[in-house]
Amino acid sequence: MNCLDLRRAAMLDPRRLDTEALAHVERCDACRDFLAQALELEAQIEHALRTPVPHGLEARVVRNALESPRFTRRHALAAGLALATAAGVALLWKRNDPLALAGIDFVVFEEAQAIADAKPADVKVLARVVREMGVSLPAQLGEIRYVGTCPFDGLTAHHVLVKTPLGKVTLLLIPSRPLASRAVASAHGFEAAVVPAAVGSVAIIASTPRSIARAETLLKSG
Amino acid sequence: MLFPGRQTAFEQAVGRYFGDLYRYAYWLCRNRWQAEDVVQESLTRAWRAWPGLREERAIKSWLFTIVHREHLRSASSAPRARADENVPEPAFDPDPARTMELEAALRELPEDSQNALLLQVLGGFSCAEIAGMLGASEGAVMTRLTRARQALRRRLGPAENEPGVRQA
Repeated sequence: MNCLDLRRAAMLDPRRLDTEALAHVERCDACRDFLAQALELEAQIEHALRTPVPHGLEARVVRNALESPRFTRRHALAAGLALATAAGVALLWKRNDPLALAGIDFVVFEEAQAIADAKPADVKVLARVVREMGVSLPAQLGEIRYVGTCPFDGLTAHHVLVKTPLGKVTLLLIPSRPLASRAVASAHGFEAAVVPAAVGSVAIIASTPRSIARAETLLKSG
Repeated sequence: MLFPGRQTAFEQAVGRYFGDLYRYAYWLCRNRWQAEDVVQESLTRAWRAWPGLREERAIKSWLFTIVHREHLRSASSAPRARADENVPEPAFDPDPARTMELEAALRELPEDSQNALLLQVLGGFSCAEIAGMLGASEGAVMTRLTRARQALRRRLGPAENEPGVRQA
């Protein structure tokens, strides 16, 4: 081990150095100083992160958690049936398009997990897909906060999360899903529109119709 | 109470890690009220899933992972609240100015670097464990940790008086 190796190890975790690193520190004054500074900074980091826990919070949180309704299989089945019935009624009543509704369900129930589970995506791949689909992701659309791929409605979608001036917008680019005409849905406080592209289609999910309209206009601006 | 043993085990596990779970949520959300909501929702989910937990050794990483996912979920469904301007102060602080500077530096770290650092310092997890929890490679976690400490050191450390490097 040399000084550079030691310093790399100390920047990774100064409190968990192996015996080889510790032996080097014994022999090298400069690294001993470096490690002492790193450990001092580490202690300060730990001190700064140790935000005090509000008094009584633990007892309150645990009590609320224990008193929350537990979902047994029977409860889950009943809830599932009730949800399905409600969804069926809502579909008939509002004539939600199933694909657009699936987009909303994805945002409400799966998006966070998809982001948590995703591997880093290649932005170049997204750029190629966007080009091939004949749509555009102009800078005015907003700040792209996440890019990934995910399963959607039995297909693979390119998942893009955009922070726009009108709030968060989720885009699902589905090259293998052609669409004849624009489809919409509204549920769970979200709006969705699935619009045909030159190749495939794009689902746009946001919290307001205005946000959808803005994103749709910009997507077609290329 | 149908399962007193189960409830006691849950309470004991939460008691062991609650402080660090709250601090982890606090630094992810950078807002006390959101952090409390995230911890509440996380532990409610944890209690619901508790009967299915098979590996007792994995409780700690399981709880931290739930908090992380709950933070992602809440962040994607609600606008981010303003960061607390007045961070609650530790009971005793020998150098409050330094602590404030460090807190500001910690807040400015990129989220992925900050998250890895939180899991290492607050949770005491290894790089491999953090990689598993964040769904990243171990190499990526090592890079994030190194970058985080480099950034903090650049801002706060003794850059002027860097000890020499010997290539032996």
